[in-house]
Amino acid sequence: MSQEVTEEFRLLCMLHNIGATKLEKSLSIQEICEWTAMETSSVQFHIQKLVELGYVQPTEAEGTGKYHLTPNGIRKVLTLYS
Amino acid sequence: MRICILTWEFPPRIVGGIARHCEGLARALAHMSHEVHVFTLDFPGAPDYEELDGVKVYRAVTELGHPNFLTWALLFNHFLEKKLGAVSQQVEFDVLHIHDWLTAPAGVSFKYRVKKPMVLTVHSTEIGRAQGLHNPDSFAIDGMEWWATYEASKIIVTSGSMKGELCGHFHLPGDKIKIIPNAIDLTKYNASIDRQWVRQRYGVGPNEKLVLCVGRLVPQKGVEHLIHAVPAIAWRHPEARFVIVGEGWLKGHLEHLASSGGHGWRIRFTGFLPDSEVVALMTSADVLVIPSIYEPFGIVALEGMAAGVPVVASQVGGLAEVVEHDRTGILVYSRNPESIAWGVSRVLSDPGHSQWLIKNAREMVQKAYSWEGIAKKTVEVYKEVE
Repeated sequence: MSQEVTEEFRLLCMLHNIGATKLEKSLSIQEICEWTAMETSSVQFHIQKLVELGYVQPTEAEGTGKYHLTPNGIRKVLTLYS
Repeated sequence: MRICILTWEFPPRIVGGIARHCEGLARALAHMSHEVHVFTLDFPGAPDYEELDGVKVYRAVTELGHPNFLTWALLFNHFLEKKLGAVSQQVEFDVLHIHDWLTAPAGVSFKYRVKKPMVLTVHSTEIGRAQGLHNPDSFAIDGMEWWATYEASKIIVTSGSMKGELCGHFHLPGDKIKIIPNAIDLTKYNASIDRQWVRQRYGVGPNEKLVLCVGRLVPQKGVEHLIHAVPAIAWRHPEARFVIVGEGWLKGHLEHLASSGGHGWRIRFTGFLPDSEVVALMTSADVLVIPSIYEPFGIVALEGMAAGVPVVASQVGGLAEVVEHDRTGILVYSRNPESIAWGVSRVLSDPGHSQWLIKNAREMVQKAYSWEGIAKKTVEVYKEVE
């Protein structure tokens, strides 16, 4: 393949594979960093972009921002393997 | 028969053609009075269990995850198997039918547990999708595909080209593989559509031509070659407007490509659309372009034919078997923007010929690609292995 997947798409895939695909399985930035071994600033930057693109849904739980994939985010991830 | 179908996608979890294939097949089998149980993965908003036209659908929730896709795939197979195990306490299946490698671990394990034959439908291969094996995950997937073909009593593929690919790459005996094409539900295309209203919603005026492309935005669909063809099409048909429907990991790259060529204003990306909207667009389009570089079948060609839009498709894989050049559509060279432009122009320049193509294509779809016929052929395979 001539095109490489972007960093934000790589993060979207990891969020999907971890299981952050519904509201009750939303993850905080800190949890995402722990799962993915990515830097906090990098996760924040890419998550913001994914939210803007409509692939990730932000929610507020116990005063902390949490994130999970939207149905379109799930579909986008699955195109990599289908 | 009591039929157990395993698939990682089933509506509303729609990624590519597998979801539509499994839904159409399952409904047709149930309509023939078979007892059909579909095991699949959950999706937001979809119930854990439901019955659809007699088809029992179970959606497994994957309760564990892992950032690596392969590990995640093995985990979801475990939860699928758990669901299968619970249902098989009450139901004695006659045959197990799995779709692609993704559900092979659960399928193979279940096959040995219940001692029933397993049929595998291969919709595509890793080496075809990725145009080679480029990383350790690809090699592992390729190995799992071979393993699934080895464990299956019979293999179903949707085209002769796919059969050739399996025989060549996995060294399978030809008599283990049965070709049963895809089909479509023609009743979906009977709805009355206000074409002008649909075109207006996508910014296409009454005197403009709607060039439509529907597919996942991934390299094998070849959408970049259509985008490269836009200047040549626009030179011949300044009234052409392009609507690209679909989601995929290549979307950002394709949007950038479209906007940087000077014709970006002609091209609209819609993202994922529900089936009803895709049908409305197909019914309202002047031409449907399928610029794939790899296509084991190409169900979108049948959908276009059923919707009454002339099809311009790459001469690759199953598309070259579905589309008869200059009789049911136009075949063009793959990865060749100039050829795509020629094909689109051939359709747009000659409305009389286009109508003839549409008529022939519709007749062919009605005759050869009904789910009822495909389900009958599938049952014959089940009976061979029973």
